[in-house]
Amino acid sequence: MSQIIVITSGKGGVGKTTTTANIGVGLAMRGHKVALIDTDTGLRNLDLLLGLENRILYDLIDVTSGRVQYKKALVRHKKYENLYLLPTSQVKDKSAVNPEQLVKLCDEMKKEFDFIIIDCPAGIEQGFKTAIAAADTAIVVTMPEISAVRDADKIIGELGRADKDNVKLIVNRIRPQMVEKGDMLDMGDIDEILSVVCIGQVPDDESVVVATNRGEPAITMSDSTAGQAYKNIVARICGENVPFLKPQKEGFFARLKKLFGLL
Amino acid sequence: MSDIVTIKGLKYGLQLTFAKGATFEAVQANLLNKLETGNSFFIRGTTVFVPKGYFAEEQNEALRRMFHRHGMLFSTELKRPNLAPPSQDTTTKAPSQKFRESVEEAQKMMVINHTVRGGQEIKANCSVLICGNVNPGAQIIAGGSIDIRGTCRGFVHAGAFGDKTACVVADRLMPVQIRIADIIARSPDEPEKVSQAERAMIKDNRIIFEPVAR
Repeated sequence: MSQIIVITSGKGGVGKTTTTANIGVGLAMRGHKVALIDTDTGLRNLDLLLGLENRILYDLIDVTSGRVQYKKALVRHKKYENLYLLPTSQVKDKSAVNPEQLVKLCDEMKKEFDFIIIDCPAGIEQGFKTAIAAADTAIVVTMPEISAVRDADKIIGELGRADKDNVKLIVNRIRPQMVEKGDMLDMGDIDEILSVVCIGQVPDDESVVVATNRGEPAITMSDSTAGQAYKNIVARICGENVPFLKPQKEGFFARLKKLFGLL
Repeated sequence: MSDIVTIKGLKYGLQLTFAKGATFEAVQANLLNKLETGNSFFIRGTTVFVPKGYFAEEQNEALRRMFHRHGMLFSTELKRPNLAPPSQDTTTKAPSQKFRESVEEAQKMMVINHTVRGGQEIKANCSVLICGNVNPGAQIIAGGSIDIRGTCRGFVHAGAFGDKTACVVADRLMPVQIRIADIIARSPDEPEKVSQAERAMIKDNRIIFEPVAR
């Protein structure tokens, strides 16, 4: 039984594309056959995060408009043979694809893939409506910040209106030290407002930026805490029961080292 | 008109009749399209009647759910339901009767069985009971009172037609802004933790909060 998952958030910059790339790689590492569809037409990034920009021949628009078969537009990942990317166009805009076309495409792709993950653009306009049309599960990404939580709330409402009731939450870029000091919303606050099942808490980690720039998602780095959090998310998507990571406290020596600039 | 769904205005709502030979799927798609394109017939709180026995029970159920999602009621009985929405011809009635009707409306209740999220709006001529939270950015506007079985963080307006006896009750009442009739109050700039159910009402032309037991 294949699953179609849309990754969405409402607000921009909370890490939708990063999450898509990491979950995609994670699922592929576990041996599932995965297709990632970028629907952020005009502002495509997913190919960069996967380091596949130079291999793109055709795009989503070519497929939906019937110019080529979807199989021709798929880009296979260089390392993970089970992972494919269907990139979108960088020159067209969101009106180039409509919901029916994407539903039809996903129906076709479902026969081939275990997981289809759709990267949704920011906002709640046409691009969002197109991206969610085909999905049976939605993962809402947010950040511990009131504007991001507010937008996530709105998005969950919109998903409900579109009959997407299987909604999961990922809280990205948590800074444990700030939460501890009370300067950042904690999980309790977020849960209370959004009240949807949380499947991931990802710490703010510099390795994510490094990974993005290198075109290798953080989940492939063994020493990255964010990568570990993404691994746990992937396990939860596969139905495993994994406890959440304990927030890492900065130890006394680490702080001392930082103080003397030794780090 | 080649439309497969015909809408007829009744005193208590809208009656739907369907073209001969129209399948349920076609009717449902047609209605959904009408609902989503913001057809001006479908005002929130309106009752929609479909002749009894026209569709199978589960098909009626699907329609009922679809209309509920868009804030409308669905019925197969051609009579005024308990949660009757406003009749559309109030303007032609004498003022005293109109007033009486508005009081009657205020005594009825609309029940919302889910959390009202940011950007969503509930409007009712009657009182509103919400089993769920009212999140920041949501709006509840009621002719009567508002009862929230959950936390209220949104915008609430009770007694929207000027009823100063209306009140707002919530398990945790911390709205961004609260209005009762024509009186407005806003939340304190320093948010305080609320641990008990409270009722907001008008006293001496100001909105006051008082704890309630429930």
